[in-house]
Amino acid sequence: MTTLQGAPRRRVSRKAVTAWLFLAPSLLVLVAFTLYPMIQAGYLSLTDYNLIRAAEWVGLDNYVELFADPAFWNAFWNTVLYAAVVTPVTVVLALMLAVFLDRQFVGRAFVRTSIFLPFIVSLGIIAIAWTFLLDPNIGLLSYWLSQAGFVAEQGILSDPRWAMPAVMFVGVWKNVGFYMVIYLAGLQSIPEELREAARLDGANAWQRFRNVTLPLLSNQTMLVSVMALIATLQAFDQIYVMTHGGPFFRTETLVMLIYRQGFQELRFGYGAAISWVLLIFVLLFSMIQYLFFQRRQVKY
Amino acid sequence: MKRHHSVRRSRRSVFIAGAAVTATLALVLSGCTGGGAPSGGANDPDAKVTLDFWNGFTGPDGPALQKVVDDFNASQDRVTVKTNIMPWDTLYQKVLTAAAGNSGPDIVAMSASRLPQYIDEGLYQPLDDYYENADFESEALATAAVDASMYDGQNYGVPVNIATMLMYYNKDLFTAAGLDPEKPPTTWDEFADMVPKLTVDENGDGKPEQYAIALADHETVPMYQPFLWNAGGGIVSADGKTSELGSEGSLEALNFWVDLVREQKASPVGLAGADADKLFTTGKAAIEIVGPWMTSGFNDAGLNFGLAPAFAGPTDQITLADVVSMSIPASADETTKQAAYEFFAYWNSTDGQKTWAEGSGFPPTRSDVSSDITGNPYPAMFGAPDVIDNSQVLLAGIAAGGTITTTIFEPALQKALNGEGTVDELFTEASKQVQAELDK
Repeated sequence: MTTLQGAPRRRVSRKAVTAWLFLAPSLLVLVAFTLYPMIQAGYLSLTDYNLIRAAEWVGLDNYVELFADPAFWNAFWNTVLYAAVVTPVTVVLALMLAVFLDRQFVGRAFVRTSIFLPFIVSLGIIAIAWTFLLDPNIGLLSYWLSQAGFVAEQGILSDPRWAMPAVMFVGVWKNVGFYMVIYLAGLQSIPEELREAARLDGANAWQRFRNVTLPLLSNQTMLVSVMALIATLQAFDQIYVMTHGGPFFRTETLVMLIYRQGFQELRFGYGAAISWVLLIFVLLFSMIQYLFFQRRQVKY
Repeated sequence: MKRHHSVRRSRRSVFIAGAAVTATLALVLSGCTGGGAPSGGANDPDAKVTLDFWNGFTGPDGPALQKVVDDFNASQDRVTVKTNIMPWDTLYQKVLTAAAGNSGPDIVAMSASRLPQYIDEGLYQPLDDYYENADFESEALATAAVDASMYDGQNYGVPVNIATMLMYYNKDLFTAAGLDPEKPPTTWDEFADMVPKLTVDENGDGKPEQYAIALADHETVPMYQPFLWNAGGGIVSADGKTSELGSEGSLEALNFWVDLVREQKASPVGLAGADADKLFTTGKAAIEIVGPWMTSGFNDAGLNFGLAPAFAGPTDQITLADVVSMSIPASADETTKQAAYEFFAYWNSTDGQKTWAEGSGFPPTRSDVSSDITGNPYPAMFGAPDVIDNSQVLLAGIAAGGTITTTIFEPALQKALNGEGTVDELFTEASKQVQAELDK
């Protein structure tokens, strides 16, 4: 009798131990490379650290300074602008591409692959390629644009009006393939009978899309929007390579500022403070997004 | 039966999981290295030392540097110098993190204008005892080269090279424009008169195919700043305490050049240093004011170019000098330091400088070698007394020098060149920011 009562408890705890041990490697990596640096950055943000000398405690001085720093606010608004444009454009474009590529046609696999390809290539390398394409003197894209009547005298990347659109374009182009694939998977999970039923009821293509397809894709839309927003708020790679935050800080985003303050001005404490502010900001916006989509979730 | 089976299976899975945890732990911990290196200590004159020498001579002057290093290594067998050549941007970023860890370099070459920022952070140690040792012949070195690495009363570097900027001009483009190829402009006004002929926009689309001059405004050896000197202005006063960016001479120079570039399209806007070099190399700019490292590149491109001191401003004709100095990290011990001194002495010896100047075209750091350099005409031009003696390093010995250039001067200049404000407004404001940096 006692063995029978004791056995379930022993089985559960052994399973739990096994589970924890299997989770442990990933958890360890997560703790070592994500959680620990976050905590250390939090500590550093309260100091005045420059990598060579020991950190000196300064309390909340870094935070006070950054909220009064025009460079911070410039980077903040640039980041907001970038995210406000790139996130919806990417998501909508990904959805449109998924819908168009859901139907069968010759070469569909090739088109899907070529749209997805930028996602798996390093953003730094892509950005170098785009810098060459947009070079005012030898760039192919610059030449075609000038033939079409659009002449940027000092090059698109050095023009204060066009540098931001250029890096936004590269940002969209890079990730749209990944979100498209997520939407494609979602589209395939929509039962065809629902669309048939809608067609029989006399709904045209747009009505079918809006009333049947789109609501059933809301899980994917939530996933894609949250991922896209988190990624765009941290835009850095292509900006570092293509414009380095220029011309005169017009394309400097928060992560670019963190990099500049940390590695160029050698103010690691200040950079850490800005990165924690960014973290809180991203967390806040992700939560808002999540709550917004929660009530529209498709529950199975 | 079932329970026995599941016990064995779960024991095995526990074992596998445990092994996975240990492996990951080992991997993670192996990535963490201890910081801090021993410093100080006594000099061991017999110890064999290998020195890791980081520098940014990726251009055509790299082989000349390597030759001097090889000659030094061959001349004695105690000290071996190994060069680690990387682009300058990479070097500036890596040197800090490398010095904080254990695997840092033993000798670092760096532009003297960037030294103060790193010295301020405690990266380097003073090398005054090098200059006090008469065996190292440091009195023969050019004064500007030695003084460039001074900071707060101590000298933290030994010269690697002193590079003066001269005006390269494309003789073929001058002839095509109807100008005398042997008479380059000698003053700003003479140049301004030549601009309409040298900036050519044949198809009238507003973008010239050829520019009179290639002036870079970011990521470059300073091209606009010397103009301020030559109109009686500057960025910071000689004692490093007051901003001169809003002074009359500075504003006069900036107004002249911004107008020339914007209104007359004398130069493209938004060029980085490398873009300016490219423009001149491909014959799309008639003039470039840059250093001796470009001579072999221009020659390889088949350009028919001439060299002359840059045109004089209203008050002066000061040339920009860029000094690269070698420094030793604070964490290096005494043995390493003395071994490095032997290399420094060889580098700056008559033999070392002769090899360097002939191979690179740079002027030698010591004037007593010039007459021995027969294989290369450029050291004599760049090292001519009226050039070297009238040369100045930008923002020498000022810790905020790099910050002032990249976050205050260059953005203000770019805004002015893009028409986002007048020169007077932008630079008066910038002058206040410079003062704030100096007061920190």
